Amino acid sequence: MSLTLTLRTAPTVPLEADVLSPDRLSGVSALEAAKLTVVHGNQRADLGEFFQVVGAADGELHLTGDLAQVKQIGTGMAQGRIVVHGSVGMHLGAGMTGGEIVVEGDAGDWVGPDMSGGRIVVKGNAGHMLGSARRGSPIGMRGGEIVVFGNAGNEAGNGMRRGLIAIGGDAGDFAGVNMLAGTIVVLGRLGWRAGAGMRRGSIISMHPAELLPTFTYACDYAPEFLRVCLRRVRGLGLTIADSHVNGRYQRWCGDGIELNRGEVLILASPGTASRS
Amino acid sequence: MGENVKVVRDATCTFCGCVCDDMHLTVDLDHKRITKAENACILGKAWFREHAIEERPLALIGGRPATTEAAVEAAAQILARARFPLIYGLSDTTCEAQRVAVAIADMIGGTVDTTTSVCHGPSGIAFEGVGESTASLGEIKNRADLVVFWGGNPAEAHPRLFSRYSVTPKGMFIPNGRKDRTVVLVDVRRTPSTPAADIFIQVKPRSDFEVLWALRALVRGRRVDPSIERRTGVSLTVLEDLVARMKSCRFGVFLFGMGLTMNRGRHFNSGALLALTTDLNEFTHWVAKPVRGHGNVTGADNVVSWQTGFPFGVNFSRGYPRFNPGEFTSVDLLTRGEADAALIIASDPADNFPKAAIEHLRRIPVITLDPKATPTTQLAQVAFTTATYGINVSGTVYRMDDVPITLRPAFESPYPSDEQVLTAIRDRVRALLGGNRLPAGAPVAAAS
Amino acid sequence: MGSPLRIVNGRVYDPANGVNGAVQDVCVRDGKIVADVPPDAKRIDAAGMVVMPGGIDIHCHIAGPKVNLARKVQPETHRDDVQLRTRLTRSGTGGTVPSTFATGYRYAALGYTTAMEAAVTPLGARHTLEEFQDTPVLDKGFFVLVGNNLLLYRLLQEGRREELRHALAWWLKVTKGYAPKLVNPGGDEMWKGGRNANITSLDDKIGSFDLTPRRVIAAFIEAGNELGLPHPVHIHCNNLGHSGNVETTLETMRLAEGRRAHIAHIQFHSYGAAAGKSQSNPTSRARDIIEYINTHPNISADVGAVMFGPATIMTGDAPLAYMLRRFGSNKWVNADTENESGCGIVPFKYQDRVYTNALQWAIGLELLLLSEDPWRMVFSTDHPNGGSFMSYPRLIRLLMDRRYRKEQMAHVNQKALDQSALRDCQEREYSLSEIAIITRAGPARLLGLTDKGHLGVGADADLTIYEEDEDKEKMFSAPRYVIKDGELIIEDHELRADHQGRLLHVAPDYDPQIEQVIEPFFEDFYTIRFANYPVDDRYVPKGQIIPTTPSAAAAPATAGTRP
Repeated sequence: MSLTLTLRTAPTVPLEADVLSPDRLSGVSALEAAKLTVVHGNQRADLGEFFQVVGAADGELHLTGDLAQVKQIGTGMAQGRIVVHGSVGMHLGAGMTGGEIVVEGDAGDWVGPDMSGGRIVVKGNAGHMLGSARRGSPIGMRGGEIVVFGNAGNEAGNGMRRGLIAIGGDAGDFAGVNMLAGTIVVLGRLGWRAGAGMRRGSIISMHPAELLPTFTYACDYAPEFLRVCLRRVRGLGLTIADSHVNGRYQRWCGDGIELNRGEVLILASPGTASRS
Repeated sequence: MGENVKVVRDATCTFCGCVCDDMHLTVDLDHKRITKAENACILGKAWFREHAIEERPLALIGGRPATTEAAVEAAAQILARARFPLIYGLSDTTCEAQRVAVAIADMIGGTVDTTTSVCHGPSGIAFEGVGESTASLGEIKNRADLVVFWGGNPAEAHPRLFSRYSVTPKGMFIPNGRKDRTVVLVDVRRTPSTPAADIFIQVKPRSDFEVLWALRALVRGRRVDPSIERRTGVSLTVLEDLVARMKSCRFGVFLFGMGLTMNRGRHFNSGALLALTTDLNEFTHWVAKPVRGHGNVTGADNVVSWQTGFPFGVNFSRGYPRFNPGEFTSVDLLTRGEADAALIIASDPADNFPKAAIEHLRRIPVITLDPKATPTTQLAQVAFTTATYGINVSGTVYRMDDVPITLRPAFESPYPSDEQVLTAIRDRVRALLGGNRLPAGAPVAAAS
Repeated sequence: MGSPLRIVNGRVYDPANGVNGAVQDVCVRDGKIVADVPPDAKRIDAAGMVVMPGGIDIHCHIAGPKVNLARKVQPETHRDDVQLRTRLTRSGTGGTVPSTFATGYRYAALGYTTAMEAAVTPLGARHTLEEFQDTPVLDKGFFVLVGNNLLLYRLLQEGRREELRHALAWWLKVTKGYAPKLVNPGGDEMWKGGRNANITSLDDKIGSFDLTPRRVIAAFIEAGNELGLPHPVHIHCNNLGHSGNVETTLETMRLAEGRRAHIAHIQFHSYGAAAGKSQSNPTSRARDIIEYINTHPNISADVGAVMFGPATIMTGDAPLAYMLRRFGSNKWVNADTENESGCGIVPFKYQDRVYTNALQWAIGLELLLLSEDPWRMVFSTDHPNGGSFMSYPRLIRLLMDRRYRKEQMAHVNQKALDQSALRDCQEREYSLSEIAIITRAGPARLLGLTDKGHLGVGADADLTIYEEDEDKEKMFSAPRYVIKDGELIIEDHELRADHQGRLLHVAPDYDPQIEQVIEPFFEDFYTIRFANYPVDDRYVPKGQIIPTTPSAAAAPATAGTRP
C-alpha cells in the first residue's frame, strides 16, 4: 500500500511542495500527511488543502493530477519512489541522492538540479536546464540518471560532473554547456552550440549537427563504451535500433577553447543488426 | 515665454543609460516647461522639452479620479491580500524609490523584478558565470585606443556615447581624440552608427556566439576552421586581423548592446564576449561594458543587489531572497499566469511584453505609478500620477558604468514622487500586516 | 535610546580605563555611559557574563561599488546561506559577501557596533553611503582611495606639496570619508595604463609619471599627518602576497620617519623567500615585522589573518586580483575608475593542505602571538579577503586557547608550519583583556574615536555582553546582549530592534582656492561634472564629524596661494 495524493484543489499561485519526498513521509499516515506544510505563494498551507491523501507511506508515493504548478517535488530525496500521474512543475528532484521519480506527463524547467544519485524518468517533455548547475555555479549534476522520452529545452546538462542524461526527442541549444564530465545521449536532434565550453564528457547524437568552430573532427569509430552506454539507455526505456547501438560514430573533439578532452559523437553510419 | 526663468546647470538627463550630467537647462517657471537643454542630444532634448505638467487626477481607482490617500489605501489592500504579487519596473525612477519598492516586496513576500530582465538580464546572468572586466566611461575617454561596438546602434540609441565618452573626446592619454583611436563596429546590418567606425564587420544574424568563440580560440592560439566564414559571414582573415589589433592595443574596450542579449544565445552571447575580454587581458588591458537602456536601470540593479544579493527577478515568498531567471522574472511569471497582483513603477509592460503576459495583466489587480497615461496605467485598478525623476524630483541615479549621480530637478510638480507614494503604501501595508509578513515555511533544503 | 539602564554583576573589561575583569556596574542613559542612573532604571543582570565595549572592525569591505560587484558575481553562495526576515527586520543573503541588511544584523549578532569600510573610490562614495543607510545597527566610516589619483600625482610630480595637502583634504571632505587609503600605490596606474603591468619595487617609475611609490607614500604620510586626521594614512603596501615582500613592507614603514602610519592586513606583507630553488615559496618573516613595530611606536597595523574556508578577494589592488584568478574559481571581476583607482574580485578558498594558505594562517597567528603591543597590532581578517567576519569567534579561540590551536596546527600543511615560527609562540594565550584591546580599545584608539572602545563616562553606549564559556568560539559567537547607542538591539541572543547607525567622517579644512586647481582637471579628464562630484548631506541622515587637529604647517592658508 503506498501513499496516494490526488490534487483536488488547484493552487491559484505556485505551490512549493518540498515535503513530497519519500524520506520526509516515511512512517507517516494519510491523516498526518494531510497536515504537513506546503508553501502556497507567500503563505503556509496544509497539504490536505490541495490533495486528497489516502494510504500509508511505505517508500512509494503516487501523485495524481495536473501538477504543473507544483514545484520542488522530490527535493533531497535519498530513497523510495515517486510516480507522478500527470505533469509536474519546476525543480523536480532537486538535490536528489537516491531513489526514483517517474513522471507520466511533462516536467517543467530545472529537472534534477544538484542531483548526485538516483533516477528521474520523464515520459513526456522536459523544460530548460535539465540536470543543470544553478546560476553562477560551475558544477551541475554530480551523479544519477535522467531520462526524458520527449524533448528537452536549452542547457541540458549545464556543468555536468558525472552521471547520465538521455533524451529520446530533441535537445535545445547549449546541451552539455560547460560540461566537466558525464554522458548526454540525444536520440533526436541536438540544438545549436552543443558542448560549448566543455572540458570533458561525451555528448552523443543520432543526427547530424553543426558544431562550434572550436570542435575538430578526429575519426569515425565504434567505441565499446558507447555500446554499453546505449544499451543502458535502452534498458531505461528508450528505443534505440540495434544498428545505432552498433553503428559507427564521428568523433569530434572539443571544446578547443577549453581542455579539449570532451567529445561529441555523431552517428556516421548505422551498423548491422544483432551482435551482443 | 514669461519673465520667470531659471537656469539649472549640471542637471542630469535620464533618458538613456549615458546619464549625462552636463545638461544646462533653461526653465520657464510660469509655464513649467524646459525651453532649452544645452548639451543634450536629440533624445535628451525631446526628453526635456516634452515634459510638461499635465492636468490629470492625482490618482484613479477603477478608472475614476481619487485622492492619493484613497489610492494608497486601495493599493495597500491589494498588496496585503495578494499571495504572489509582482513588483516590476523601477528603471525610470530614483534609487530612493527603488529601495522602498524592494522593502515592500520583502514585507509582503512577493517578487521584485526590474526592466533588466527584458534587457541586459542575460548580461547579468553571464556576469554571474564569468565575471567581467570593466571600467568607468572616463577610462575609455582617457585611455582607450581600440573601441569595439558590438550589437548596438549608439548613433540612434545613445548619441553621446560617441561624442562625450568613447569615440571623439580627447583624453589624458588620447590627446588627439578620434585620431588616436581605432573604432570597430560589429553588427548584422549597417546602421547610422556604421559610418563612425574605421572597420565594420558584418556578421550573419544569430552567429555572434560563433564569431566570439572563434575570436577566443584565436586569442588563445587555438585552431579555427576556415568554414567559420560560411557559418558567420566573417572570414578567418578578418578575424585574425581583429585579434592582432586587439592583442596589440594599449587599452581596448567592448561596448555591447541588445544585439547580443536579445538574440538566440542570450546570456551565452554576453558571456562569450565577457570571456573574450578576460582572455585578452593576458596580452593587454581590456574592458567591456553593456550599454544600458533606461536612465536608472543600473541603479535598480545596484539597489536590488545590495539589499538582496541578486540583481533582478528576486522572490521573497519564503521569507528570504531567491533568484532564478525564468522562474521569478516578470515575463515568465505573467505569461504563466502566476502573479495574482502587480505593482508597476515607472514602466509600461502593457506596451511591449508578450501578448500572453499582457492578457494576464488584464486579469489581475494592477497598481501603477507613472507620470503619464500609458497602456499599463489604463488597465490598472489603482493608478497614481507621480512626478518625473530628474525633471521634478531629485534623487540618486546610476550611470551605465555604476557612477552614482544626484539629480537636479528643473521645476516642481503638483504630483507626489514615486518615493513618497511607495513610502505611504509601505507604511499602510505594514500597519495592515502588523509588520513584515512572517516567512512561509523553512528555507528549501540546501543541496547535498 | 533614552531610557536608563544599569548592567550589574558583570565582569567588566575596559582596558582603556584600566578595568580588567572587575565586577562593577555600568550605567547607560541617552545613548551614553553615565556615572549613575536612578534606582528604577531597567536592570540587566550580567552575572556569569563578561561586559565589553562593542566590537570595532578597523578594516573590512562591506559597502560600495566593489562590494556590490562581489555580491552580484556569487549568487550560488547566497542560495545556501539565507537571512530570514522577521516582523521587524529585513531578509537577506550571506556567503562571504552578505547583502547589506544581513551584514548589519550579523555583525551586531557577533557584538560589533562599529565597522570601517576599507576602500572606497571617491566617485563611488555616494554608493557606499547609500549602502551604509541599508546596513543596520553599525556606526560606519570609510577610507578613501587616493593612492592612484592622477591629479594628486600631477601635483606631487610638480612638487606642489601644499596644494597636494589641500586637495587631499578636499577629497576627504567632499566624499565624507574618514581617512586616506593607499592601495598598491602606483600599481593600479601601471595596470590600467601599462598594459597590465604592476609595481614590483618602491623605486619603479609609475608609468608616464615622474614618480615612484616611495615618493607617493612619503608625501601622503606627510600630508595626512599635517592634516591631523584622527586616523593616519592607511596603507596596503606594494607587493602584497609576493615571496620576500617583507622588505617592501619594512621600507614602507621606514618612509613614515616617525610620523603616524597604519599598515593594512600586514600578514599578507610579512613574507620572506625560501632559499635556493624554491625562492617563489614564501616563508614567515613575522618576527621582523613585530620587531620593527615594537621599536617604532608611530606605526600601527591590523593583522589581516587568514581563516580556512571560503573567502572573496576584493581589493583595490587590481593586478593582484588578476594574478589570483588562477587560484580561485573561474570568475574574475575587474573595474577601473577614471583618474582614481581600480578594483579586482576573485571568489576564493583557503585550504589547510595548501602550503601558502597554511603559511598565511600561521603568520596571522604568529603576528598576534608575538605582538608586544596589542594596541598597535589589532584584529582583522580583511573581511572577506582573508575570511568572513563570521570566522572572528574562531580566530579569537585560536588566540585564547593554546590546546585548540595545537589541535588545529596538526591539520595544516606541516611544511608550511616549518617555515613559520608558530610552534615557538604556541604557549601564549590571549587574555580577555587583550582580546578587548585588539577588537575594541585598540581599534578605537587607532581610529581616533575617543568616545568608543571604552566604557568610561561619556563614551558612546555601545556594549556587548557575552556569557562566559570555556569554549571561546562559542562565547564570542553569540553575545547575550548587544547595546547600541543605549538601545538594546540584541537581548537573549535575539534581534529585538532595528537601528540606524551613524556615519563617522572627517571634514578637514582646506584652502578653497584648491578648487580652481581641481575643477579644470575635471573638465578635461572626468566624465562627471565637478559640481556633481561632492556628496551632499542628504546621504548622511545620521552623521558625526570627527575633528581633525592640523599641525601648524597645515593651518589653512590665507593669501598667497595660486591656482
